[in-house]
Amino acid sequence: MAIRPLYMILKSADRDSLQIASTMASLAAVSERPVHVFVSMGALRVFNKNGAGNERYGDSPLNAAFCEKNVPDPIETFRQGKTLGDMTIWACAMVLDVLGWDESHLVEGLFDGQTGLAKFLSNAEGGDLIAV
Amino acid sequence: MSERKVIDARGSFCPGPLMELIAALKLMDVGAEVEILSSDEGTAQDVPEWTTKVGHELVEMGERDGHWYLVVRKTK
Repeated sequence: MAIRPLYMILKSADRDSLQIASTMASLAAVSERPVHVFVSMGALRVFNKNGAGNERYGDSPLNAAFCEKNVPDPIETFRQGKTLGDMTIWACAMVLDVLGWDESHLVEGLFDGQTGLAKFLSNAEGGDLIAV
Repeated sequence: MSERKVIDARGSFCPGPLMELIAALKLMDVGAEVEILSSDEGTAQDVPEWTTKVGHELVEMGERDGHWYLVVRKTK
């Protein structure tokens, strides 16, 4: 049976959500499953290149514990998944526009570009889609 | 004798140890082995699962001095 690509929409800025999202995406990518991530809504602000460490995340139940235990940062986990596996990451064009940002505002070396939700959803018809 | 690299990932949480293993395997020749040390219970389940799924070989695994050790041989 052919492997179905995983399409993931990120919308939450909280650490808990991004922690599980980055882990799922990266594990799938390194397990020979293509992964495509669309970063939208509050999640996109987390990827501001000027964000600093844990301060980039909103409140979430496990945020403090993750930091105290030095659990891998979601952005670095996405980066590992992209480096070691088959993963693309796209910024939501609408949210970039609302924030007055362009791709130069985002963490470097992670994004493949910007795209619209309709285009992403169209591509996702060929795989499994989840939103986090 | 094949090359073997030891990665001490004790104290690192999921998915850190598995990612370190995969990164090391990428840089090694077919037949080389990586031994990963981990204190993370999930790693002891995730590494065998990933190894089987992508077609590498789990040479040995077990517990030693309060941590897990898993040896993976690169097959492709």
